Amino acid sequence: MQHKLSFMETVVYGLIGLAVFLGIWYALPATGLVPQQFLPGPATVVERMTVLATQPFAGATLPAHIGYSFVRFMSGFLLAALIGIPLGLIMGWFRIVDEIVAPIFDGLRFIAPIAWVPFAALWFGTGVGGPIMIIFAGAFPPCVINAYRGAKQVDPQLIEAAEMLGTGHLRMMKDILLPASVPSIVAGLRVAAGLGWQSLVGAELIVASTGVGFMMVQAQANVATSTVMSGMVAIGIVGLVIDMLLRRGEAAIRRRRGLAE
Amino acid sequence: MRSRKTIIGLGAILGVVVLWFALTRWFSIIPVGRFPTPAAFWEALKQIELKGYAGSLLHEHAWHSLRLIIISFIVAVGTGVPLGLLMGWNRKAEALINPVFTLIRPIPPLAWIPLAILWLGLGDAAKVMVIWFAAFVPSVINAHAGVRNIDKSVIEAARMLGTPPLRLVMEVILPGALPMIFTGLRLSLQASWTTLVAAELVGALVGIGFVLNVAQQDIYPAMILVGMLTAGVLGWFTTFVLGLVEKSVLSWSVRGRA
Amino acid sequence: MGSIRFENTGKIYGDAKTGFKALDGVSLEISDKEFVAIVGPSGCGKTTCLRMVAGFESVSSGKVLVNDKAVTAPGADRAVVFQQFALFPWKTVRQNIEFGLRNKGIAKAERDHLVANALKLMTLESHGDAYPHQLSGGMQQRVAIARAYVLDPSVLLMDEPFGALDAQTRVVMQEELVRLARVNPRTVLFITHGVEEAVYLADRVAIMTRRPGTIKEVIDVKSIRTQENWDSYEKIEDVMDLESFVHLRTRIWKSLREEKIAAAT
Repeated sequence: MQHKLSFMETVVYGLIGLAVFLGIWYALPATGLVPQQFLPGPATVVERMTVLATQPFAGATLPAHIGYSFVRFMSGFLLAALIGIPLGLIMGWFRIVDEIVAPIFDGLRFIAPIAWVPFAALWFGTGVGGPIMIIFAGAFPPCVINAYRGAKQVDPQLIEAAEMLGTGHLRMMKDILLPASVPSIVAGLRVAAGLGWQSLVGAELIVASTGVGFMMVQAQANVATSTVMSGMVAIGIVGLVIDMLLRRGEAAIRRRRGLAE
Repeated sequence: MRSRKTIIGLGAILGVVVLWFALTRWFSIIPVGRFPTPAAFWEALKQIELKGYAGSLLHEHAWHSLRLIIISFIVAVGTGVPLGLLMGWNRKAEALINPVFTLIRPIPPLAWIPLAILWLGLGDAAKVMVIWFAAFVPSVINAHAGVRNIDKSVIEAARMLGTPPLRLVMEVILPGALPMIFTGLRLSLQASWTTLVAAELVGALVGIGFVLNVAQQDIYPAMILVGMLTAGVLGWFTTFVLGLVEKSVLSWSVRGRA
Repeated sequence: MGSIRFENTGKIYGDAKTGFKALDGVSLEISDKEFVAIVGPSGCGKTTCLRMVAGFESVSSGKVLVNDKAVTAPGADRAVVFQQFALFPWKTVRQNIEFGLRNKGIAKAERDHLVANALKLMTLESHGDAYPHQLSGGMQQRVAIARAYVLDPSVLLMDEPFGALDAQTRVVMQEELVRLARVNPRTVLFITHGVEEAVYLADRVAIMTRRPGTIKEVIDVKSIRTQENWDSYEKIEDVMDLESFVHLRTRIWKSLREEKIAAAT
């Protein structure tokens, strides 16, 4: 590997790369090489986003749509965490549970969360349950898997010490496995959040009547490209913020535990 | 003991099937409009394969989806892996490309679907584009990490041994990064399937996702289940093949699988 | 052919004022075919010295010359044996040893011949087609040494090569290295923590001060070794029992101890 670049060099090269990208993006519609309808320039998109901040489209303003999406995301995500993490710990502790659940889990794993959308539509219509179910399907596996791995990788001597001290099953999972698995669980939450957010978008494209995904589908039907792109930017930003917050949380926990960062 | 695990595993799956029968057919706990009975499922399966549904037979839909996956996957990793290797090896290239990559990355692949439809319509091209965005990112990230993970002294040994640049890439960097590249490939494949099914759900005229779409609109739960399971089987199959490739290519590795 | 010279070599990481000073004017001359070991407390910069000769680190001040020419880049003329072996895990033993020869453009027939010799020399004949992970640490290091030796380098740089091996394997490797060095001598720069190892293997032992390192003193071992005929003893433990050996070892040890104490205060 080559030598690391200095901070200045990184910044300069970064700005060059960014400038080239934005330049091309701006030039293509501006020079008429590509029709504006097809590819609105960066300025157009930014302008459109500011308009959408106060003017509703497809039933609500952009911030309102984001709000709907975010609430659904949090519901599905928390549900996945509250069910998935204990399940993972139980599977990690009771081998019989592992042996029963794992094959079913492994089988279902290959069905993309998005494939549950038709059933979600059938069961919940365009109500809020549909997207939440899809988000759950996306966020659930990483929660379980990371809790499971965390439990399995607990120092066996810790467990032996706990057993020697007469620890019952529930307390073992609650006070030994859970705290010891926190780094793995938090890493899993990050992955789950990413997958959950992605699943949300997919679900909203199909079975929603509000939310950013829904807004984008309506915009596409109306050939409102700049609105579609506004939605993409908004989704990207929210996803980034969620990930950043979780990453901070993860780093803080790792620091408290004295783990490598 | 492995046999105990297999027995319990099979027992669990059998248990699920029994539960399915019980909940739908024997005790009618789940209403018929919500989830199909095993019999209904079987009828739907026969129908789509023998007579056709949503315009084609099951294997035609499956093949269409599979074909798209293979093409898109190859294009995505064929562009992503070299880019990731370049960014991992060359710090200047990394500094140049990183900001743009960081901008594009947070946009979920599925969010590209409306734009892809606007640009390329409802045909295969739009699907390939969206899958490309989905599968490209994990390949880049993992190829990049793969290069960085190579033991520094192995690279120094190669330099000490006077290795010319092309040989360095082909015989040191690429093999060294290969374990992590395969991790990326597995993620790319997963992302490809998710994106394809979604893209076909939103706008298509053939394919597994399209079957799901039509079944949903026809309120035909049995067919929905057929579609879902077909997607699962295809996903499992492609993952299995990828695993075989990985095992044979990485035979030198202690782990064999990152 | 294979002389090394450090002329007041200095190394600073970062800028001159606030940077980390690793070396503070190292001056040392190693003649062709001489085996010199550098010992010193942890962090004194002895590995940095080797890496500068290898061409992996640049010189901040002063000079590092090999055959009177400044070092600019790594190359097969200064072959390196690393502590963690640095073998290519995806290549077989044979392919690992052959790699440098291919880079030199040597024809296949001759390559096969040289590799076969190297395998025999390092007693690896039956492992030619094995992968590194299938071999023990000692065998892997033998492959690394073979990979270096097969290039017929004028300078051999060994960076704590036996540090990752268990005690028994280390002893066997030391005996083998001595055999190699007497039979097939070349210039060797050997970095180590182990004083006994240094005294057993080297013609001269250079002792470094604590960080930022310079050469504290250089002890001549060869004259005593030839005088007391250490090479007549086959086993390392017999040599280490000799009074002349113990005397040298203790002398170096005391010198190092001063550095460790000074570092701690």
